[in-house]
Amino acid sequence: MSFMKLKAISILLTVINFINNNNKKSGDQGPWWQSLHRTMLRGILGKTFRLVGYTIQYACIAHCAFEYVGGVVMCSGPSMEPTIQNSDIVCAENLSRHFYGIQRGDIVIAKSPSDPKSNICKRVIGLEGDKILTSRPSDFFKSHNYVPTGHVWLEGDNLQNSTDSRYYGPVPYGLIRGRIFFKKSCS
Amino acid sequence: MTAGMAQSQGWVTRYFKAFCKGFFVAVPVAVTFLDRVACVARVEGASMQPSLNPGGSQSSDVVLLNHWKVRKFEVQRGDIVSLVSPKNPEQKIIKRVIALEGDIVKTIGHKNRYVKVPRGHIWVEGDHHGHSFDSNSFGPVSLGLLHAHATHILWPPERWQKLESVLPPERLPVQSEKESLHGSP
Repeated sequence: MSFMKLKAISILLTVINFINNNNKKSGDQGPWWQSLHRTMLRGILGKTFRLVGYTIQYACIAHCAFEYVGGVVMCSGPSMEPTIQNSDIVCAENLSRHFYGIQRGDIVIAKSPSDPKSNICKRVIGLEGDKILTSRPSDFFKSHNYVPTGHVWLEGDNLQNSTDSRYYGPVPYGLIRGRIFFKKSCS
Repeated sequence: MTAGMAQSQGWVTRYFKAFCKGFFVAVPVAVTFLDRVACVARVEGASMQPSLNPGGSQSSDVVLLNHWKVRKFEVQRGDIVSLVSPKNPEQKIIKRVIALEGDIVKTIGHKNRYVKVPRGHIWVEGDHHGHSFDSNSFGPVSLGLLHAHATHILWPPERWQKLESVLPPERLPVQSEKESLHGSP
Protein backbone atom coordinates (compact mmCIF):
# COMPACT_ATOMS: atom_id res chain seq x y z
CA MET A 1 0.00 0.00 0.00
CA SER A 2 2.77 2.46 0.87
CA PHE A 3 4.42 1.79 -2.48
CA MET A 4 1.22 2.87 -4.25
CA LYS A 5 1.07 6.06 -2.15
CA LEU A 6 4.70 6.86 -3.04
CA LYS A 7 3.93 6.27 -6.67
CA ALA A 8 0.84 8.51 -6.47
CA ILE A 9 2.81 11.29 -4.75
CA SER A 10 5.62 11.07 -7.30
CA ILE A 11 3.13 11.17 -10.15
CA LEU A 12 1.46 14.24 -8.62
CA LEU A 13 4.82 16.02 -8.23
CA THR A 14 5.77 15.18 -11.81
CA VAL A 15 2.43 16.49 -13.03
CA ILE A 16 2.77 19.77 -11.08
CA ASN A 17 6.29 20.20 -12.45
CA PHE A 18 5.03 19.44 -15.93
CA ILE A 19 2.27 22.03 -15.59
CA ASN A 20 4.69 24.69 -14.35
CA ASN A 21 7.04 24.07 -17.26
CA ASN A 22 4.18 24.08 -19.73
CA ASN A 23 2.82 27.39 -18.42
CA LYS A 24 6.24 29.04 -18.51
CA LYS A 25 6.79 27.90 -22.11
CA SER A 26 3.42 28.75 -23.64
CA GLY A 27 2.76 31.85 -21.55
CA ASP A 28 -0.88 30.91 -21.24
CA GLN A 29 -2.87 33.95 -20.24
CA GLY A 30 -6.16 32.17 -19.52
CA PRO A 31 -7.49 31.40 -16.03
CA TRP A 32 -4.97 29.26 -14.16
CA TRP A 33 -7.44 26.55 -13.21
CA GLN A 34 -8.36 25.95 -16.88
CA SER A 35 -4.79 25.24 -17.96
CA LEU A 36 -4.21 23.22 -14.78
CA HIS A 37 -7.25 21.10 -15.56
CA ARG A 38 -6.19 20.47 -19.14
CA THR A 39 -2.56 19.58 -18.53
CA MET A 40 -3.31 17.61 -15.36
CA LEU A 41 -5.85 15.44 -17.17
CA ARG A 42 -3.53 14.81 -20.10
CA GLY A 43 -0.53 14.20 -17.86
CA ILE A 44 -2.29 11.82 -15.47
CA LEU A 45 -4.01 9.87 -18.24
CA GLY A 46 -0.76 9.48 -20.13
CA LYS A 47 1.12 8.36 -17.04
CA THR A 48 -1.64 5.92 -16.06
CA PHE A 49 -1.68 4.30 -19.48
CA ARG A 50 2.09 3.98 -19.48
CA LEU A 51 2.04 2.45 -15.99
CA VAL A 52 -0.66 -0.04 -16.98
CA GLY A 53 1.24 -0.90 -20.15
CA TYR A 54 4.47 -1.60 -18.29
CA THR A 55 2.66 -3.67 -15.68
CA ILE A 56 1.02 -5.85 -18.34
CA GLN A 57 4.31 -6.27 -20.16
CA TYR A 58 6.25 -7.33 -17.04
CA ALA A 59 3.44 -9.62 -15.91
CA CYS A 60 3.51 -11.37 -19.29
CA ILE A 61 7.29 -11.75 -19.20
CA ALA A 62 7.02 -13.16 -15.67
CA HIS A 63 4.33 -15.61 -16.77
CA CYS A 64 6.45 -16.82 -19.71
CA ALA A 65 9.49 -17.20 -17.46
CA PHE A 66 7.64 -19.22 -14.80
CA GLU A 67 5.76 -21.32 -17.31
CA TYR A 68 8.51 -22.20 -19.78
CA VAL A 69 11.83 -21.63 -18.02
CA GLY A 70 11.55 -22.07 -14.27
CA GLY A 71 11.36 -20.31 -10.97
CA VAL A 72 12.10 -20.25 -7.29
CA VAL A 73 9.74 -22.12 -4.97
CA MET A 74 9.50 -22.54 -1.23
CA CYS A 75 8.74 -26.06 -0.08
CA SER A 76 6.87 -26.69 3.15
CA GLY A 77 6.17 -29.97 4.88
CA PRO A 78 8.19 -32.89 6.20
CA SER A 79 7.56 -35.39 3.40
CA MET A 80 10.90 -34.94 1.63
CA GLU A 81 13.23 -34.97 4.63
CA PRO A 82 16.19 -35.24 4.83
CA THR A 83 16.66 -34.14 1.22
CA ILE A 84 14.48 -31.03 1.48
CA GLN A 85 13.70 -29.60 4.90
CA ASN A 86 10.67 -27.56 5.80
CA SER A 87 10.79 -23.99 4.41
CA ASP A 88 13.70 -24.62 2.06
CA ILE A 89 14.11 -22.52 -1.05
CA VAL A 90 14.52 -24.58 -4.22
CA CYS A 91 14.96 -23.73 -7.88
CA ALA A 92 12.75 -25.57 -10.34
CA GLU A 93 13.09 -25.70 -14.09
CA ASN A 94 10.22 -26.42 -16.45
CA LEU A 95 12.14 -27.35 -19.59
CA SER A 96 12.36 -31.07 -18.74
CA ARG A 97 8.60 -31.30 -18.48
CA HIS A 98 8.05 -29.80 -21.93
CA PHE A 99 10.65 -32.03 -23.55
CA TYR A 100 9.52 -35.11 -21.62
CA GLY A 101 12.91 -35.54 -19.97
CA ILE A 102 11.73 -36.40 -16.45
CA GLN A 103 13.59 -39.50 -15.22
CA ARG A 104 13.49 -41.88 -12.29
CA GLY A 105 15.01 -40.28 -9.21
CA ASP A 106 14.12 -36.68 -10.17
CA ILE A 107 12.42 -34.54 -7.58
CA VAL A 108 9.46 -32.87 -9.23
CA ILE A 109 6.84 -30.31 -8.34
CA ALA A 110 3.35 -31.36 -9.42
CA LYS A 111 -0.23 -30.23 -8.94
CA SER A 112 -1.89 -32.18 -6.21
CA PRO A 113 -4.34 -34.75 -7.68
CA SER A 114 -6.94 -34.05 -4.99
CA ASP A 115 -6.55 -30.26 -4.92
CA PRO A 116 -5.56 -28.59 -8.20
CA LYS A 117 -4.75 -25.29 -6.52
CA SER A 118 -1.93 -26.67 -4.37
CA ASN A 119 1.38 -28.19 -5.36
CA ILE A 120 3.23 -31.23 -4.10
CA CYS A 121 6.94 -31.89 -4.13
CA LYS A 122 7.93 -35.56 -4.46
CA ARG A 123 10.48 -37.87 -6.05
CA VAL A 124 9.72 -39.87 -9.20
CA ILE A 125 10.06 -43.53 -8.29
CA GLY A 126 8.65 -45.08 -11.43
CA LEU A 127 7.74 -44.11 -14.98
CA GLU A 128 5.03 -45.68 -17.14
CA GLY A 129 5.33 -49.42 -17.45
CA ASP A 130 7.46 -49.86 -14.31
CA LYS A 131 6.54 -52.43 -11.68
CA ILE A 132 6.00 -50.73 -8.33
CA LEU A 133 5.47 -51.95 -4.79
CA THR A 134 2.11 -50.35 -4.09
CA SER A 135 1.12 -51.64 -0.69
CA ARG A 136 0.78 -49.14 2.15
CA PRO A 137 3.15 -49.49 5.11
CA SER A 138 0.26 -50.76 7.26
CA ASP A 139 -0.64 -53.60 4.85
CA PHE A 140 0.45 -57.09 5.76
CA PHE A 141 0.65 -58.50 2.23
CA LYS A 142 2.84 -56.71 -0.30
CA SER A 143 1.17 -55.91 -3.62
CA HIS A 144 2.78 -54.96 -6.92
CA ASN A 145 1.33 -52.97 -9.73
CA TYR A 146 2.38 -51.57 -13.06
CA VAL A 147 2.38 -47.82 -13.59
CA PRO A 148 -0.16 -47.11 -16.38
CA THR A 149 0.77 -45.22 -19.56
CA GLY A 150 0.99 -41.48 -19.18
CA HIS A 151 1.44 -41.67 -15.41
CA VAL A 152 4.30 -41.55 -12.90
CA TRP A 153 4.69 -42.92 -9.40
CA LEU A 154 5.69 -40.33 -6.82
CA GLU A 155 6.96 -40.95 -3.31
CA GLY A 156 8.39 -38.65 -0.68
CA ASP A 157 11.80 -39.41 0.80
CA ASN A 158 10.38 -39.46 4.31
CA LEU A 159 8.31 -42.60 3.78
CA GLN A 160 6.80 -42.62 7.25
CA ASN A 161 5.42 -39.11 6.91
CA SER A 162 4.47 -38.67 3.28
CA THR A 163 1.11 -38.71 1.47
CA ASP A 164 2.06 -39.77 -2.01
CA SER A 165 1.21 -42.25 -4.76
CA ARG A 166 0.91 -45.03 -2.18
CA TYR A 167 -2.32 -43.29 -1.09
CA TYR A 168 -3.72 -41.57 -4.17
CA GLY A 169 -2.33 -43.82 -6.88
CA PRO A 170 -0.23 -43.03 -9.95
CA VAL A 171 -0.17 -39.37 -10.94
CA PRO A 172 -0.79 -38.33 -14.59
CA TYR A 173 2.27 -36.85 -16.28
CA GLY A 174 0.23 -33.76 -17.21
CA LEU A 175 0.13 -32.67 -13.57
CA ILE A 176 3.92 -32.29 -13.31
CA ARG A 177 4.95 -28.61 -13.28
CA GLY A 178 8.73 -28.72 -13.02
CA ARG A 179 11.88 -30.48 -11.87
CA ILE A 180 13.96 -29.31 -8.93
CA PHE A 181 17.64 -29.02 -9.66
CA PHE A 182 19.04 -26.80 -6.90
CA LYS A 183 18.37 -26.39 -3.22
CA LYS A 184 19.54 -23.62 -0.96
CA SER A 185 19.49 -24.78 2.65
CA CYS A 186 18.13 -22.16 5.00
CA SER A 187 19.07 -23.73 8.35
CA MET B 1 32.11 5.61 -49.39
CA THR B 2 32.75 5.49 -45.64
CA ALA B 3 29.92 7.97 -45.00
CA GLY B 4 27.54 5.77 -47.01
CA MET B 5 28.59 2.65 -45.12
CA ALA B 6 28.20 4.39 -41.77
CA GLN B 7 24.71 5.51 -42.77
CA SER B 8 23.58 2.02 -43.80
CA GLN B 9 25.05 0.56 -40.60
CA GLY B 10 23.17 3.13 -38.54
CA TRP B 11 19.97 2.09 -40.30
CA VAL B 12 20.64 -1.59 -39.59
CA THR B 13 21.31 -1.07 -35.88
CA ARG B 14 18.22 1.10 -35.50
CA TYR B 15 16.10 -1.53 -37.23
CA PHE B 16 17.62 -4.27 -35.09
CA LYS B 17 16.93 -2.34 -31.88
CA ALA B 18 13.34 -1.67 -32.90
CA PHE B 19 12.88 -5.34 -33.79
CA CYS B 20 14.23 -6.48 -30.43
CA LYS B 21 12.03 -4.05 -28.54
CA GLY B 22 8.95 -5.17 -30.45
CA PHE B 23 9.88 -8.83 -30.07
CA PHE B 24 10.29 -8.69 -26.31
CA VAL B 25 7.01 -6.84 -25.94
CA ALA B 26 4.87 -8.72 -28.44
CA VAL B 27 5.95 -12.32 -27.91
CA PRO B 28 5.43 -12.59 -24.12
CA VAL B 29 2.11 -10.75 -24.33
CA ALA B 30 0.88 -13.00 -27.15
CA VAL B 31 2.06 -16.18 -25.45
CA THR B 32 0.47 -15.16 -22.14
CA PHE B 33 -2.78 -14.33 -23.90
CA LEU B 34 -2.92 -17.69 -25.67
CA ASP B 35 -2.04 -19.52 -22.45
CA ARG B 36 -4.23 -17.69 -19.97
CA VAL B 37 -7.09 -15.97 -21.79
CA ALA B 38 -8.26 -17.75 -24.92
CA CYS B 39 -7.07 -19.70 -27.90
CA VAL B 40 -8.50 -21.52 -30.87
CA ALA B 41 -8.26 -25.20 -31.71
CA ARG B 42 -9.43 -27.66 -34.34
CA VAL B 43 -11.44 -30.61 -33.12
CA GLU B 44 -10.55 -34.01 -34.53
CA GLY B 45 -12.34 -37.27 -34.11
CA ALA B 46 -15.91 -38.41 -33.71
CA SER B 47 -16.17 -38.75 -29.95
CA MET B 48 -18.31 -35.62 -29.49
CA GLN B 49 -20.80 -36.19 -32.30
CA PRO B 50 -23.33 -34.73 -32.92
CA SER B 51 -22.36 -31.63 -30.91
CA LEU B 52 -18.93 -31.29 -32.53
CA ASN B 53 -17.68 -32.59 -35.90
CA PRO B 54 -20.97 -33.96 -37.20
CA GLY B 55 -19.51 -34.14 -40.68
CA GLY B 56 -16.75 -36.51 -39.66
CA SER B 57 -13.41 -36.08 -41.35
CA GLN B 58 -14.82 -33.92 -44.17
CA SER B 59 -14.90 -30.74 -42.11
CA SER B 60 -13.44 -30.37 -38.63
CA ASP B 61 -14.96 -27.82 -36.31
CA VAL B 62 -12.79 -25.05 -34.93
CA VAL B 63 -13.70 -24.06 -31.37
CA LEU B 64 -12.85 -21.13 -29.14
CA LEU B 65 -11.14 -22.34 -25.97
CA ASN B 66 -11.57 -20.06 -22.97
CA HIS B 67 -8.81 -20.47 -20.37
CA TRP B 68 -9.96 -17.56 -18.25
CA LYS B 69 -13.18 -19.30 -17.19
CA VAL B 70 -11.34 -22.28 -15.74
CA ARG B 71 -8.53 -20.37 -14.03
CA LYS B 72 -10.06 -21.29 -10.66
CA PHE B 73 -10.96 -24.83 -11.83
CA GLU B 74 -14.68 -24.10 -11.63
CA VAL B 75 -16.69 -26.18 -14.08
CA GLN B 76 -20.36 -27.11 -14.25
CA ARG B 77 -21.99 -30.37 -15.28
CA GLY B 78 -22.62 -30.25 -19.01
CA ASP B 79 -19.68 -27.98 -19.90
CA ILE B 80 -17.57 -28.98 -22.87
CA VAL B 81 -13.97 -28.82 -21.71
CA SER B 82 -10.56 -29.60 -23.11
CA LEU B 83 -8.05 -31.39 -20.91
CA VAL B 84 -4.63 -33.00 -21.10
CA SER B 85 -5.15 -36.67 -21.89
CA PRO B 86 -4.29 -38.81 -18.84
CA LYS B 87 -2.94 -41.52 -21.11
CA ASN B 88 -0.88 -39.29 -23.39
CA PRO B 89 0.35 -35.98 -22.01
CA GLU B 90 1.18 -34.65 -25.47
CA GLN B 91 -2.45 -34.75 -26.53
CA LYS B 92 -5.46 -32.70 -25.54
CA ILE B 93 -8.91 -34.24 -25.56
CA ILE B 94 -12.25 -32.44 -25.63
CA LYS B 95 -15.17 -33.96 -23.71
CA ARG B 96 -18.27 -33.02 -21.74
CA VAL B 97 -18.26 -32.84 -17.93
CA ILE B 98 -20.81 -35.35 -16.64
CA ALA B 99 -20.12 -35.36 -12.91
CA LEU B 100 -18.23 -33.30 -10.33
CA GLU B 101 -16.47 -34.41 -7.16
CA GLY B 102 -18.68 -36.32 -4.76
CA ASP B 103 -21.17 -37.47 -7.44
CA ILE B 104 -21.92 -41.12 -8.06
CA VAL B 105 -22.14 -41.95 -11.77
CA LYS B 106 -23.56 -44.96 -13.55
CA THR B 107 -20.80 -45.89 -15.97
CA ILE B 108 -21.00 -47.26 -19.52
CA GLY B 109 -18.37 -49.88 -20.16
CA HIS B 110 -16.22 -49.19 -17.08
CA LYS B 111 -14.99 -52.05 -14.94
CA ASN B 112 -17.13 -50.82 -12.01
CA ARG B 113 -20.86 -50.26 -12.48
CA TYR B 114 -21.04 -47.25 -10.18
CA VAL B 115 -18.16 -44.91 -9.43
CA LYS B 116 -17.95 -42.17 -6.85
CA VAL B 117 -15.91 -39.27 -8.20
CA PRO B 118 -13.08 -38.51 -5.71
CA ARG B 119 -12.25 -35.06 -4.39
CA GLY B 120 -10.53 -32.83 -6.93
CA HIS B 121 -11.64 -35.00 -9.88
CA ILE B 122 -14.32 -34.88 -12.58
CA TRP B 123 -15.99 -37.45 -14.80
CA VAL B 124 -15.92 -36.62 -18.51
CA GLU B 125 -17.61 -38.38 -21.40
CA GLY B 126 -17.88 -37.86 -25.11
CA ASP B 127 -21.38 -37.42 -26.54
CA HIS B 128 -20.86 -40.33 -28.94
CA HIS B 129 -20.86 -43.22 -26.49
CA GLY B 130 -18.95 -46.23 -27.69
CA HIS B 131 -16.69 -44.18 -29.96
CA SER B 132 -15.19 -42.12 -27.19
CA PHE B 133 -12.01 -42.53 -25.16
CA ASP B 134 -13.20 -40.93 -21.94
CA SER B 135 -13.68 -41.54 -18.22
CA ASN B 136 -15.40 -44.82 -19.02
CA SER B 137 -11.93 -46.00 -20.08
CA PHE B 138 -9.54 -44.17 -17.78
CA GLY B 139 -11.71 -43.30 -14.80
CA PRO B 140 -12.15 -39.90 -13.15
CA VAL B 141 -9.62 -37.24 -14.16
CA SER B 142 -7.91 -34.78 -11.84
CA LEU B 143 -9.00 -31.14 -12.16
CA GLY B 144 -5.35 -30.19 -12.53
CA LEU B 145 -5.45 -31.59 -16.07
CA LEU B 146 -8.18 -29.13 -17.05
CA HIS B 147 -7.00 -27.01 -19.95
CA ALA B 148 -9.88 -24.82 -21.15
CA HIS B 149 -13.64 -24.46 -21.55
CA ALA B 150 -14.89 -24.67 -25.15
CA THR B 151 -17.48 -21.93 -25.50
CA HIS B 152 -18.17 -21.31 -29.20
CA ILE B 153 -17.76 -22.97 -32.58
CA LEU B 154 -15.96 -20.53 -34.88
CA TRP B 155 -15.64 -22.47 -38.16
CA PRO B 156 -17.26 -23.47 -40.50
CA PRO B 157 -19.37 -20.31 -40.65
CA GLU B 158 -22.65 -22.22 -41.06
CA ARG B 159 -21.97 -23.82 -37.68
CA TRP B 160 -21.35 -20.59 -35.74
CA GLN B 161 -22.98 -21.15 -32.36
CA LYS B 162 -22.50 -20.91 -28.64
CA LEU B 163 -21.94 -24.32 -27.10
CA GLU B 164 -24.58 -24.91 -24.45
CA SER B 165 -23.79 -26.59 -21.13
CA VAL B 166 -26.54 -29.14 -21.34
CA LEU B 167 -26.42 -32.55 -19.74
CA PRO B 168 -28.50 -35.29 -21.38
CA PRO B 169 -31.04 -36.45 -18.76
CA GLU B 170 -29.99 -40.09 -19.00
CA ARG B 171 -26.46 -39.13 -17.94
CA LEU B 172 -27.42 -37.27 -14.79
CA PRO B 173 -25.44 -38.49 -11.78
CA VAL B 174 -27.21 -41.00 -9.59
CA GLN B 175 -26.40 -38.98 -6.51
CA SER B 176 -24.72 -35.61 -6.23
CA GLU B 177 -23.17 -33.75 -3.32
CA LYS B 178 -22.56 -30.39 -5.00
CA GLU B 179 -25.43 -28.49 -6.58
CA SER B 180 -24.75 -26.63 -9.84
CA LEU B 181 -24.47 -22.88 -9.52
CA HIS B 182 -26.96 -22.45 -12.37
CA GLY B 183 -29.82 -24.03 -10.45
CA SER B 184 -31.28 -27.19 -11.95
CA PRO B 185 -28.85 -30.12 -12.23
